[in-house]
Amino acid sequence: MRNLWTVFFFATILCLSHARADNLLDGADLGYGEYLSGECVTCHSKDGVDKGIPVINGLDAEVFASIMHAYKTGDMDHPVMMMVASRLDAEQIASLAVYFAAMPGTN
Amino acid sequence: MVTKFSRRQFTGGILAGTTALAMPSLAFGARPRVAVIGGGAGGATAAKYIAKDSKGAIDVTLIEASKRYYTCFYSNLYLGGFRSYASIGHNYYGLSVNRGVNVVHEWANSVDTAAKVVNLGHGGQVKYDRLVLSPGISLKYDSLPGYSPEMHSRMPHAWTSGTQVQLLRSKVLNMKKGGTFVMVPPPNPYRCPPGPYERVSMIAHLLKERNPTAKIIILDPKPKFSKQGLFMAGWEKHYPGMIDWIDPDTHGGIKSINATSMEIETDLDTFKADAASVVPAQHAGSIAMAAGVTDGDWCPINPANMTAKADPNIYVLGDASVASSMPKSGFSANSQAKVAANHIRGELTGSRVYEARYANTCWSLVATDDGIKVGANYSAGPEKIDVVSKFVSQGDESADVRKATYQESIGWYEGITTDMFS
Repeated sequence: MRNLWTVFFFATILCLSHARADNLLDGADLGYGEYLSGECVTCHSKDGVDKGIPVINGLDAEVFASIMHAYKTGDMDHPVMMMVASRLDAEQIASLAVYFAAMPGTN
Repeated sequence: MVTKFSRRQFTGGILAGTTALAMPSLAFGARPRVAVIGGGAGGATAAKYIAKDSKGAIDVTLIEASKRYYTCFYSNLYLGGFRSYASIGHNYYGLSVNRGVNVVHEWANSVDTAAKVVNLGHGGQVKYDRLVLSPGISLKYDSLPGYSPEMHSRMPHAWTSGTQVQLLRSKVLNMKKGGTFVMVPPPNPYRCPPGPYERVSMIAHLLKERNPTAKIIILDPKPKFSKQGLFMAGWEKHYPGMIDWIDPDTHGGIKSINATSMEIETDLDTFKADAASVVPAQHAGSIAMAAGVTDGDWCPINPANMTAKADPNIYVLGDASVASSMPKSGFSANSQAKVAANHIRGELTGSRVYEARYANTCWSLVATDDGIKVGANYSAGPEKIDVVSKFVSQGDESADVRKATYQESIGWYEGITTDMFS
């Protein structure tokens, strides 16, 4: 969980400084987000259990989008996440963000 | 937020709907049927996603002989004592109860592709509109001189998880003091490219604790292997002097294997083993051969949707498929299953079909808290699945990074098994 709080902190900073929140979620498509989420839930347990990889169910959509943009630009550093984010465009990130925000977080 | 139909909806909707309406089964209101053969990372995931996302509109039957499925991934960690055997076993109740998948614990004997019927071991039949084949691998017994199914109990391949891995662990634990373990990895292509080398790492870990003067010899048919630099640096660091990797130029090839005398003969020498794991060459699971969708040892697929090149009604997932640069791994199979599931729903119910997106990451454990990983994501090219981007652990990473990588792999195991079975 500690890692996730760090992520929250950075994401909040990014949210405030880099982009307006409504822009982050432009073009969001819930159905497309559900399809794209298949790549995420191989690692991020859909049951909301953190055994070494953070829970992303129920994460605030703007925070989610900020984090993914930070991985995309290299402002946050993790080889798997940077690879995942590198091929997601803004609409795809927004779609994932609204999908996971709607998932019940059970942690 | 605006929900819209995007540029990604390139084959779904009206087109697929028209196709579906032309099908007699739908015209009379019957539910379209999908049969899935094989309940591993490809098949279980495909069955789940088709059932879940179609919300009952598609009748899904999963054909899997085992009631309890032991994952191949993490079986090495059981060997090394990092996981219990029970912790890598899973059942199909979740798919049955939560998702409404009809789970049939039978062997699939043959497929009649003209009649679209799977014939089961005990005489029953499962009819399908679309068939998903995810049978994993079968072993090529004739790939090593002297190798035979009877040798499994003497020199376990332990390449399909389950009791073979239990047997291998007990053989390593019962080695004489200062004895020799011989590992014979398979030639390319094979299931789990880093697997033989993680296995050696885990056996070295076990021996370092209990039998520190023991030796491990790897007689490799390949001149190089996955994450080689990282593994070899790890062996030097954690198990100095214990592991000897011998490449084919040096040993000259395996000439014969004698399971009775526990001797493996090469041009270089005859190696006498106190315990051994011999993993032969592999081909697509036998049912894929029987279904006629193989070309040589493996099944060519269309990269956009994982349909077999030989039959548009059959999808081939995971180890059995020719997925070009995607390794034969549980992660790859799970990823391919989601692309296929999305396409099958589009074909049978007219739902939106999105572009194929594939991914894989393989974590390996070298020693306690020393995890390494390699991964890539992929897209569908016209002829093959192409790499989009990739990464691999670095040789100069700190102990903290390696520990975090191991912890991440535990999280991944939880994630993928939840994704497959719940």
